Amino acid sequence: MAANKSQGSYFGLFLGAATVLCAGFAYFGSGTGKALFALGAIAFVGSLFGFLGIKQLEGRTALKPSPEGMKLVGAAICLFGWVVTLTGIHLTSSTGGRIVFALLGIGVTAVGMIYILPAAFNKNAVWKGDSLASEHASIPVAAKTTMEHSR
Amino acid sequence: MKTILRNSCLSHWILAFVLAFGLTAHAQTAAPAAPATAAAAAPAPTVPPADAQLKDAAGKAPTTADLAKGDPGGTITGTINDVPAADSKAGVTLPDVANQVGQNKIAVNFVWTLVCGFLVMFMQAGFAMVESGLCRVKNANHTYMMNFFVYTCGLFAYWILGFAIQMGGAAGNSNLGGLQPLASEHAITLFGKTWGLFGQSGYFLAGHTYDVGVMVIFLFEMVFMDTALTIVTGACAERWKFITFAVSSVIMGAITYPIYGNWAWGGGWLSQLGTNVGLGKGYCDFAGSGVVHAVGGMTALAVSMMIGARIGKYNRDGSSNPIIGHDISAVLIGCFILAFGWFGFNPGSTLGASAAGNLRIGTIAVDTMLAGCTGTLGAIIYMWALKGKPDASMSGNGLLAGLVAITAPSGFVSAAGAAIIGLVAGVLVCVSCAFVENFMKVDDPVGAISVHGTNGLWGVLSVGLFADGTSNYGGSWNGVTGSVTGLFYGDASQLAAQLIGISTLMGFVFTLSFVINLILEFFVGQRVSVETELAGLDIPEMGQLGYPEFVFRPEPAMGTA
Repeated sequence: MAANKSQGSYFGLFLGAATVLCAGFAYFGSGTGKALFALGAIAFVGSLFGFLGIKQLEGRTALKPSPEGMKLVGAAICLFGWVVTLTGIHLTSSTGGRIVFALLGIGVTAVGMIYILPAAFNKNAVWKGDSLASEHASIPVAAKTTMEHSR
Repeated sequence: MKTILRNSCLSHWILAFVLAFGLTAHAQTAAPAAPATAAAAAPAPTVPPADAQLKDAAGKAPTTADLAKGDPGGTITGTINDVPAADSKAGVTLPDVANQVGQNKIAVNFVWTLVCGFLVMFMQAGFAMVESGLCRVKNANHTYMMNFFVYTCGLFAYWILGFAIQMGGAAGNSNLGGLQPLASEHAITLFGKTWGLFGQSGYFLAGHTYDVGVMVIFLFEMVFMDTALTIVTGACAERWKFITFAVSSVIMGAITYPIYGNWAWGGGWLSQLGTNVGLGKGYCDFAGSGVVHAVGGMTALAVSMMIGARIGKYNRDGSSNPIIGHDISAVLIGCFILAFGWFGFNPGSTLGASAAGNLRIGTIAVDTMLAGCTGTLGAIIYMWALKGKPDASMSGNGLLAGLVAITAPSGFVSAAGAAIIGLVAGVLVCVSCAFVENFMKVDDPVGAISVHGTNGLWGVLSVGLFADGTSNYGGSWNGVTGSVTGLFYGDASQLAAQLIGISTLMGFVFTLSFVINLILEFFVGQRVSVETELAGLDIPEMGQLGYPEFVFRPEPAMGTA
């Protein structure tokens, strides 16, 4: 599936819903604000499920299922590194101690960001399998960029 | 300083503003100087009252008839007659003059900030050219359109929500008149200290935020935000669904960017690290290596990791294939446009040219130029020495890396410091590109993760190392008296604050972007179909080729080996 009318319609709904939602949030203290917030939230969720409804029309992508748990663990480790840094601010009052905690937190985050998450997404990467291009031999691929004038 | 001003292109802007506004005020006050001097030399011990001097000046001011003769020398245009009097019968009084001087100061700062914002807005054109030039011709329209539409998506999102979150509690900037309508920061109290989390005023720029100063800061901050958003489009080019890009950009402009922006610039907890726990002057990011570039870079990493490599990028053994961009001229011209726009980015972040310490804009501009220069040198020499050719695209990335890295420290470092920061950035971008591509196996067609992410973090770190303690914008920064000083100049605590900022960018911003885009992957789907990707995104996604006068010459398929 390429870009289509349904996508455009749901994007319009998404933007409209976001606008109403924010208007409701801005004036949440009033009854009108609460009503707008509820209306916006419903429309917002509606737009997301609209997107979900047409998602399968996209067809096959060059992505294969990858371990969801590993992705979540990677994200959690990234976040945990930040928590380590924040904890260090309060655990010690020395500048050196805070620098050590910050570096430790950065290191923990880096493990999740550089090792675990890429490994999760690349575990079943399509490039590890059969050639996609050979499966679609009829489709011309401009792998090397060359252009030729039509006339 | 005079030499710097003479040699800098930016100095012409400054001089134009000073001539337009500053000399008017000088002329107004110069007229009464002569009688005052004469009075001091005379035996009489008293100086005429100010109001008497003003009346005297008004009497000597050129008449309408004088002005009707023309003023080729510019010596009689702009006098006391141009100062509005509150009471026309009483004439111009000292309070009138004081008010006019105050308004002149704010006017200079408004114009400075707005013009710099216009320059930053123009950077969108540079990003569009760089990113599209580094992509294949079959995706040119799609890539240009992402760069075009991200401006609209980001602006709209920032107007309805993002600005309120980021700057809703940013009152107190005297350069722009105080910004008092933006005085609502949501804060929590932890360990006996109050920490700002997000702003709460400025939704839709309505109500009491319908204010001249608020409009100026909105425009300036908006174009910064849009810069962050457009970084992601480069890293995810050639396989990102347009609809998902649009939704993702709206959310990033409304939530992800503004939250970190508030913590650093809007009175949030990172900026309070100095006042609350004594870490230097708090987290310091002068123009946004962290707030703009690293936020964009971290989000780019999260999405490009999720979206996967382009078909044909990697072979089955994990080795990578170069996928060459279609227009190196667009890339290099785009880089020059970005370098030009950076003169709005960094010097403009003073938010004024007429206030204490703001004459440092000349230094900031020169630091920006130098870092871009040494960044280019670093990348060219690295590639030339190690790979045998002065690679054009990496040279452009070297320039951008130097500029990204100097963005945070530009207001706090010397010219030598800027040159070192840029040189390191130029080498770092080459190393980082290879690392991201070959070790992490993350496909980044334009090198955005390395240019903006890696070097954004390096820029934040470099403040904590190279800030020389000579910049003093009104005597304090983030509410802490004194100048920002890094480790090499004696203050290790500033380095600690910067490291906490880096940890927040990597740990919080990256994870938030990752989770948001994982949700979008579930609901919308991030990647185009195989058929669309192989055919090129221009026709399926945009309905039109970027270059319809040209046709592809089919070549042997290059999929996975």
